[in-house]
Amino acid sequence: MAKITGWTGKLLRVNLSTGSISTQDSMKYKDFIGGSGFGHKILFDEVPAGTKALDEANKLIIAVGPFTGTGVPSSGRTNIVSLSPTNPYHAATDSHMGGNFGPWMKFAGYDAIVIEGASKSPVWLRIEDDKVTIEDASGLWGKGTRDTSAEIAKIMGKEACVASIGQAGENLINLSSIVNSNSHSAGGHGAVLGSKKLKAIGIKGTKAVPIADGKAEDWLKLNDYFMKEIVGANNQHVVPSTPQPWAEYSDPGSRWTGQKDLFWGAAEPPVETGECPPGNTNWVGLRTQKGFFDLGPVAEERTIRMDGCHSCPIRCHSDMLVPELEKYGLSGYATSTCINYSSPLSIMIKGTADGDSKGMDAFITKCLGSRLADDYGIWSNYAQLGRDFKYVYEHGILKEKLPKEEYDSIPWDLLEKGDPAFLLEFYKRIALKQGEFYHVADGPYWLDKAWNLGKDYWAYKGNNIWSKMAFPKHHSNEAGSHVGTLIQIFKNRDANSHTHMNFIGAGLPIEVLKEVAGEVWGSPDALDKPNDYTPMNIYKAKFAKWSMDRNYLHDSITVCNYTWPMTVSPSKSRNYRGDTAIEAKFFSLATGIETTEAELDLAGERITTLARCETIKRMGTVNLRKEHDVIPDWVFDADPDKKAYTPGTVKLDRKDMETAITMLYKEYGWDEKTGAPTRATLERLGMKDVADQLESLKLLP
Amino acid sequence: MLEKEIQGFIEKLRTRREFLKISGKGITTMAVTASVLNLLGCGKSGEGSDTPATVTVTPKGILIAQRNRCVGCQKCEMVCSIKNNGKASSYISRIKVARNYNYGLTMAADYATGEGDYGNFLMTQDACRQCKDPQCMAQCPAKAIAYSETTGTWTVDTEKCIGCRTCEHACPWNMPTVDPETEKSGKCILCGTCAEHCPTGALQMMPWKEVTVRLEKKGYKLS
Ligand code: SF4
Ligand code: SF4
Ligand code: SF4
Repeated sequence: MAKITGWTGKLLRVNLSTGSISTQDSMKYKDFIGGSGFGHKILFDEVPAGTKALDEANKLIIAVGPFTGTGVPSSGRTNIVSLSPTNPYHAATDSHMGGNFGPWMKFAGYDAIVIEGASKSPVWLRIEDDKVTIEDASGLWGKGTRDTSAEIAKIMGKEACVASIGQAGENLINLSSIVNSNSHSAGGHGAVLGSKKLKAIGIKGTKAVPIADGKAEDWLKLNDYFMKEIVGANNQHVVPSTPQPWAEYSDPGSRWTGQKDLFWGAAEPPVETGECPPGNTNWVGLRTQKGFFDLGPVAEERTIRMDGCHSCPIRCHSDMLVPELEKYGLSGYATSTCINYSSPLSIMIKGTADGDSKGMDAFITKCLGSRLADDYGIWSNYAQLGRDFKYVYEHGILKEKLPKEEYDSIPWDLLEKGDPAFLLEFYKRIALKQGEFYHVADGPYWLDKAWNLGKDYWAYKGNNIWSKMAFPKHHSNEAGSHVGTLIQIFKNRDANSHTHMNFIGAGLPIEVLKEVAGEVWGSPDALDKPNDYTPMNIYKAKFAKWSMDRNYLHDSITVCNYTWPMTVSPSKSRNYRGDTAIEAKFFSLATGIETTEAELDLAGERITTLARCETIKRMGTVNLRKEHDVIPDWVFDADPDKKAYTPGTVKLDRKDMETAITMLYKEYGWDEKTGAPTRATLERLGMKDVADQLESLKLLP
Repeated sequence: MLEKEIQGFIEKLRTRREFLKISGKGITTMAVTASVLNLLGCGKSGEGSDTPATVTVTPKGILIAQRNRCVGCQKCEMVCSIKNNGKASSYISRIKVARNYNYGLTMAADYATGEGDYGNFLMTQDACRQCKDPQCMAQCPAKAIAYSETTGTWTVDTEKCIGCRTCEHACPWNMPTVDPETEKSGKCILCGTCAEHCPTGALQMMPWKEVTVRLEKKGYKLS
């Protein structure tokens, strides 16, 4: 057999019930590429129906793909698959973290780590190349993620990368995360590790990730082409936010904020972002002044630098100098990215003291909250946590449900005054599971169960909950009409797909985007104008499917779907055309397996379909169309005075949306009545064994 | 003060370049101030920050490493190892960022205010200083490290290297690294690949011609 390149060829299995540690040939799962694909395959094959997220029988699969640790741009993300305690059916979700953990796994020699069973007492996992041991973590239990990481670094060496849970995960809070490299958190699976009493994984390695033989120069050339001609700024926004002499277009919404006289003001000496037109590799990382974008103009002079994941030139985290945090007992430094910065402000439901949502108080609130959430390991559920809190506070539910003594002990005056110190209490009470307050972090479905919130809660205006699957919308009907809507219905958490969103928000004029849509999905009609929609057509179904498949593909190879794919580019000389085949080009160079774009997309389709089968298995029903793929009423009932498909509204039509769902199922070859993959489709995708298992569970359409 | 610093820097550039041409010795990395950076056209002039960058004189030009621009992406490590070893590895990369990423060069007692990503965010790009009297070379029992005319650097001859790791320990900064797979040592040969691929220009290879032009722009002469 030819030498394995790209992958390490090995996966690590650790059973915490028995203490057994073993390795296995990961190439058994090669058709599923890595990351999400490996995760769903292992979970589907090995975790019996009826298992709950916090059961000993649940497994947690941390996996990456052949790109990780090779330097492919934006390949530093790690994928985790496990059953989710937040989901009503404990169906599987993917959670993702950036940072260094994924590359470190590869350097230690593993494509995946499978955590099985449960320990009786707190442990941590120590991995140094081939040496893997389970260590006592009684001294770490109760610590935040940062102290945990530092303690382990003192044992393993300061270069070790540590992924850990905070107190929230230990206390089995549904909305908890796994955090590595200070600020990179994977949302939703902290409690799974908590239930297994696995506090942390410390990892380091001295190994190399080989790329295909003799391809070093081609590899560097492809990187160069990517950096000079293809990549834009964060979210693959390809025009600057301000007019610039070199740029034909600009868009104030663009995350390409780099411009003359805009600085990383707290760098020593300060660094000017400047104009960063295409053609120069060394400017790419200056394009996105993310502090300025996420935290407003007040952040400019506080910006130390941009931060982000291994091998990523985009840098979507921003590092801030915030001496004000010292008065809360923290260091004067904060780092995070969009939603984790914004969600603490959404918890301050009465606003900030200075009343300015982009002012200094908001800045401090965001910095403080993001520090606390990452240290306790609390997940914001795409900011639904703040919305849920707002609902139960403003509707008097907290007052009714909390014991009086507990209610009175909460410093509501701080909240009312807009004092960020409220966040200290808010996060602490959740993470330490004090009293009953922690239920606000149960996630919508379980919060409703605990406190009986009823219909009003699900239907209130401003609530973003998508369906009874109880996750919030994330780039839905407001983003690409039917396309964004279809993408929402699949997963068991917020639809975290940026394939469609990055394209729609790239900043190019709609005419250009429509031309590109025509080239990629067969007709310019695949893309509607913003706020001016047309009824469903087959090209939108193709666009939606491509978005889903690339999303799963990216989570499997693994690259950041917050940045990829490269559907458009900032280069006028390319007529703004991107290159959707770059994944395949890198894949061929990494693995040495000559692979076309179509072949890789087929792998994406395989993984999407497998994840679909996973959901069927957990829900115990074949009828996902009825039970799972549900669209909330507000998509159809918004703007009562307006008709769907007239300018000025993003509302859609119910019947037409049913047509859309049917069209999408058809594209996938899924049963139109139930939305379940058929045996023929599963066999076409090489998943006869999946069909057999579903048949034995009587879950084939 | 500034003027003195600048004159001193130019003088060092001049002599080291001469040394390189004649004897191939004395290249040595030097720490430079914000005013020197400004002189070279890198960033806005800083107020009083001490030595935010290093400059290494090479036959082709100067390699400038600026800590304030380094975003810790470690792309330099990936391309370095791919270029020089045909495989990606943080451990054998000849430029070192990863090992300083979390807590800087040494972990402070209070990590939260020390260097690195868990502290003040300051990154350290560490590479061979190209010492005047290199200990790696002096202590190598196989005489595998010698000056290379082509690269202008102290270079490991992998034919001669026996993988004993003496150089790793001899170097005060632990720069050479023996590849555990080939058992051969490697260290920076100033190929410039890291700088070419750095997304923020934190590493920059400035050819002599450009150095001259930049200095002249500010009214100074190199030779
Ligand atoms: S865009 Fe952000 S999340 Fe994505 S790889 Fe880059 S730094 Fe990480
Ligand atoms: S490539 Fe540049 S920015 Fe990235 S770690 Fe290396 S020196 Fe720093
Ligand atoms: S490897 Fe170390 S001792 Fe040798 S020249 Fe470089 S810095 Fe000096």
